[in-house]
Amino acid sequence: MDIIDVEHLTFGYAGRDKNQNSKVLDDIGFHINEDESVGIIGANGVGKSTLLKLMVGLLPGYNGTLRIHGTEVKKENLSEIRRRVGYVFQDSDSQLFMNTVYEDVAFAPRNYGMSENEVRRCTMDALRKTQIEDLADRHIYRLSGGQKKLAAIATVLSMGAEILLMDEPSAALDPRNRKQLIKILKELPGIKIIASHDLDFIYDTCERTLLLADGKIVRDERTRELLKQKDVLEAHGLELPLSFRFYPGMQETIFGAGRNDNLV
Amino acid sequence: MSRINQAIHEIHFMDEAAEKNRWLNRIHPLAKVIVTVVYIALVMSFPKEDLMGLAAMCLYPLVLFITGEVSAGRAFRQLKMILFLVAVIGIANPILDREVLFWIGSVPVTGGMLSMLTLVIKSVFAVFATYLLIVSTSIENICYALRKLHMPKILSTLILLIYRYIVLMLKETERLTQAYSLRVPDQKGIHYKAWGTLAGQMLLRSMDRAELVYESMTLRGFQGEFYLKGAGKSVWKSVIYASLWCIILFCIRIFPIFEMVGRILT
Repeated sequence: MDIIDVEHLTFGYAGRDKNQNSKVLDDIGFHINEDESVGIIGANGVGKSTLLKLMVGLLPGYNGTLRIHGTEVKKENLSEIRRRVGYVFQDSDSQLFMNTVYEDVAFAPRNYGMSENEVRRCTMDALRKTQIEDLADRHIYRLSGGQKKLAAIATVLSMGAEILLMDEPSAALDPRNRKQLIKILKELPGIKIIASHDLDFIYDTCERTLLLADGKIVRDERTRELLKQKDVLEAHGLELPLSFRFYPGMQETIFGAGRNDNLV
Repeated sequence: MSRINQAIHEIHFMDEAAEKNRWLNRIHPLAKVIVTVVYIALVMSFPKEDLMGLAAMCLYPLVLFITGEVSAGRAFRQLKMILFLVAVIGIANPILDREVLFWIGSVPVTGGMLSMLTLVIKSVFAVFATYLLIVSTSIENICYALRKLHMPKILSTLILLIYRYIVLMLKETERLTQAYSLRVPDQKGIHYKAWGTLAGQMLLRSMDRAELVYESMTLRGFQGEFYLKGAGKSVWKSVIYASLWCIILFCIRIFPIFEMVGRILT
């Protein structure tokens, strides 16, 4: 069943869209089904973050169709859409603004009018899923970069988001935190859409990947297939993932289906 | 540590102090806000000649500093700039009012000197009372108490947003000044020619950050009001705390405590 429907989606930032060529997204379309993990890759400025922001209604004024659970993303529906879609910012410092982790994670449930008991249940549940229960009372500025990222994910899980949008989630994470994040993402149910330059991260977390270039979706394939194509990636300002470079043509035998498990 | 970094550090210190598990922190924020407001109002109501009566009002900050595990030394260090400004408030009084009221030995004490001293003491007491409130109560709980006192929600939301904006602005300022100092190593401070550009950049960047934070809030259902939680505090203890302090403070204001103690002793 399609949960996210995007058809003929076109968007340009104010002041730039008079020129046809300066559209950030130009007539793109795709559908995302239940429990799919989808990577969005592409060079800088191709519109990865723009696409994510459009999905939560942070950028008004697009043309075409953009539906989440059959509901059009427009001003009147934003409350409903945003309850279902959680957006994790690239910069966790901008996402976390309360004093403690618990208060920040509890912010959304309180805004959605839950009782204090429900708020506590949702908050602790989100902290458990992201494995940071022990940080509940920790002040935000005392968290490391990896902990901040997990706290940022918990803030959207606590409101029961079924769709998780993440903008460059692995940026500025050390290998251990990166692995922990991959493990947690793989355990989380629901749709995950991850925009990233980190193709190894995309390979580890997404079964399907969209390649954006010049405002269009130039490839929409299984991640394993797309990330093998050196020529395609290089033509669009990307490089083969590290593991593909070191073990060309040996992905299936070295990593195979269990690769992700070995990594984590 | 740079001054800006120190300022950020101090704000974080206050936040952490407000979250500590001390008896003073456990008192309901409403009780603390009421006592603080009553205290400041009573302190300000003393006439300028009643220096002895005013001095007795030191009881409240003194008791809280001693029993509330709040460091007075740190308070002085944190408030030194404010205390300096407070000292300057009545500086013109001795010049404007030169009427001699009494003599201490061969030193004449004028009405201006007395009013300046009273003004300074009043302001110092008010500053310490406010400090004791914020060091034992988080900004969210203070706003919660103010909302309970029927402060318009737009004002409490504004206070909370400004409080967050101050930290964002300080962080952006820190980044900018660091970037500047790294490229102008021999320059002490910021050259006046760069002030305009840096101030503009600071404003723009902190506004960008503030917008991102606001986006994060709206994405999580924020519709113009912070849902504040002040429950979980021991209500009866808080009622006793507020009642006791109000009675004591009113007694100090009405009765000349030092005179009465003096009479009893003699």
